[in-house]
Amino acid sequence: MEYLASDKIAIVDLSTGDITEDELDEDLVLDKIGGAGITKHLYDQHVSAHPTENGPIVLGTGLLTGTLVPGASLGILTAKSPSTGKVSHMPLNLDAGMELKYSGFDYIVIKGSADKPVYLWIHDGILDINDAGDLWGKDTWAATDHIRSEMGDDLIQVLSIGQAGENGSDLAQIGINYWQSADRFGFGRLCGEKNLKLIAIRGMGLLEISEPEAFMEDCAELIAAIRSNTTTPNQGIAAVSAALGEEDLGDWLGPLTHRHMACFNTPVATNTFIFTDEDPALLKETIVTEPGFLLTDIFPLVALKKAGLSAKDAGLVLKACAKYGIDGAAVAELSAKSGLTRPEEIEKTLPDLKGPVESTGKSIFSPWAAVGQDINANWERRQAVAYVLGLHPIWFQITTELTEEKLLDLAGLGSEMEFTQETLDEVIEDILA
Amino acid sequence: MGIQIDALKCIACMACELACGYHRDDAFALLSSCIVPYRGREKKNYVGIILKEEDSLVAARPEGVEINRIGEEQDPEKEADASAKPMLLRESCDLCDDVDDGPLCITFCPTGAISMA
Repeated sequence: MEYLASDKIAIVDLSTGDITEDELDEDLVLDKIGGAGITKHLYDQHVSAHPTENGPIVLGTGLLTGTLVPGASLGILTAKSPSTGKVSHMPLNLDAGMELKYSGFDYIVIKGSADKPVYLWIHDGILDINDAGDLWGKDTWAATDHIRSEMGDDLIQVLSIGQAGENGSDLAQIGINYWQSADRFGFGRLCGEKNLKLIAIRGMGLLEISEPEAFMEDCAELIAAIRSNTTTPNQGIAAVSAALGEEDLGDWLGPLTHRHMACFNTPVATNTFIFTDEDPALLKETIVTEPGFLLTDIFPLVALKKAGLSAKDAGLVLKACAKYGIDGAAVAELSAKSGLTRPEEIEKTLPDLKGPVESTGKSIFSPWAAVGQDINANWERRQAVAYVLGLHPIWFQITTELTEEKLLDLAGLGSEMEFTQETLDEVIEDILA
Repeated sequence: MGIQIDALKCIACMACELACGYHRDDAFALLSSCIVPYRGREKKNYVGIILKEEDSLVAARPEGVEINRIGEEQDPEKEADASAKPMLLRESCDLCDDVDDGPLCITFCPTGAISMA
């Protein structure tokens, strides 16, 4: 696979420590396109027939991830959910998908379980299994700091579990750097079962484009159209919540809002940083080590607001959840049922919280992107397209410029392959089967 | 004429960096861009943009723009940004002189944080 790819799949066996590599076969791309189409295929190919062994975790990116197609930020983690029993897909947002795309690997299959805690270090076409004895027991913030400090690179993206995953909580979540992710499938528990503390990713590669001038021209037209479209939402998690038909959180979050932060090449920032322990109006770099929290998930915010928490207390609860590595949406739901509203009270309950919860993924795609939406066939199709081609799943719900036809054209221009609507339909049918 | 940056409009999406990388490499890459959002202080949410020009390194910080002449001694008290370390080794901004519609970083910035002065 010459274009839009590194042409490499890694198969990691944590049980033996063996790592093997395959090329990314062009026929596989023609058949499955990319993203969840291929992660699902690799999952099916590598899942063990042995019933006592946990299934593989497959990491990958969409065909267009890491390009200038607006919103092409998405990485995908595919595995069997310990919570639902279904093979499901978690979006890797912020900069994690982009760094994975440029890491020198298109897909990574992680099989088996290590006999002691380990972490994966993925960079420059190299994948190492390293000892994580020093990291086990640390929260996600400390683990992320540790890895970045040890490698001397603050741009490393870290998918990690906290104590919730280590201790086998059904609600354990894989975090992304310091923040909450869209893991509503208990994948944090699966990592704990594999003794896999974290996956560190850094991408410094290069993606060739088959027809660069035509590809860039189309991307420029798209971003121009998005910029001039008056219905494109304003920046930030509150505006995006309102655009999706959920509550507008602007008045509630406004006094604490520092700045809005986007996922890679996503024109509308779906994340907002609030300062809970610093003046939100501060422009200079704060001397406070942990001034606040990046809000990445609308569901728990809405739930905590409905439960009567202040925006500051909601931020503190979600920060505690992120550090412990537990799904904030589940915590918001369970604490509301218990009538708890004080952050310190809620934090004390984290080790003992158990599901099932309503917020667990009901689709094979994370309900993180189902804010204000019904999870129906139309929603699942739109999500499937995003997960195959590598588009931010919330942004893709909002935007009107990115049609399936346009994206297939871009996939062809970028890859020198031809992808028809029929192929996309078949890939989606296979993913949803 | 030159690039003007309003760091407060920046959402750190990196579209400018990727577009600049394309201008340098005719491919998508992030190692040769002369414009880079600095994103290495994630927990503090301190985000701005660094631009390498012919004679200077422009740091568009949230609190204002700082222009450092290349070759002059820098303030040792100021901590370097992880993503800015290789900037001096990169080619300077040429305003995408071979592109009819002007600098690609401006074309692809979704928020208008980058413009022509």
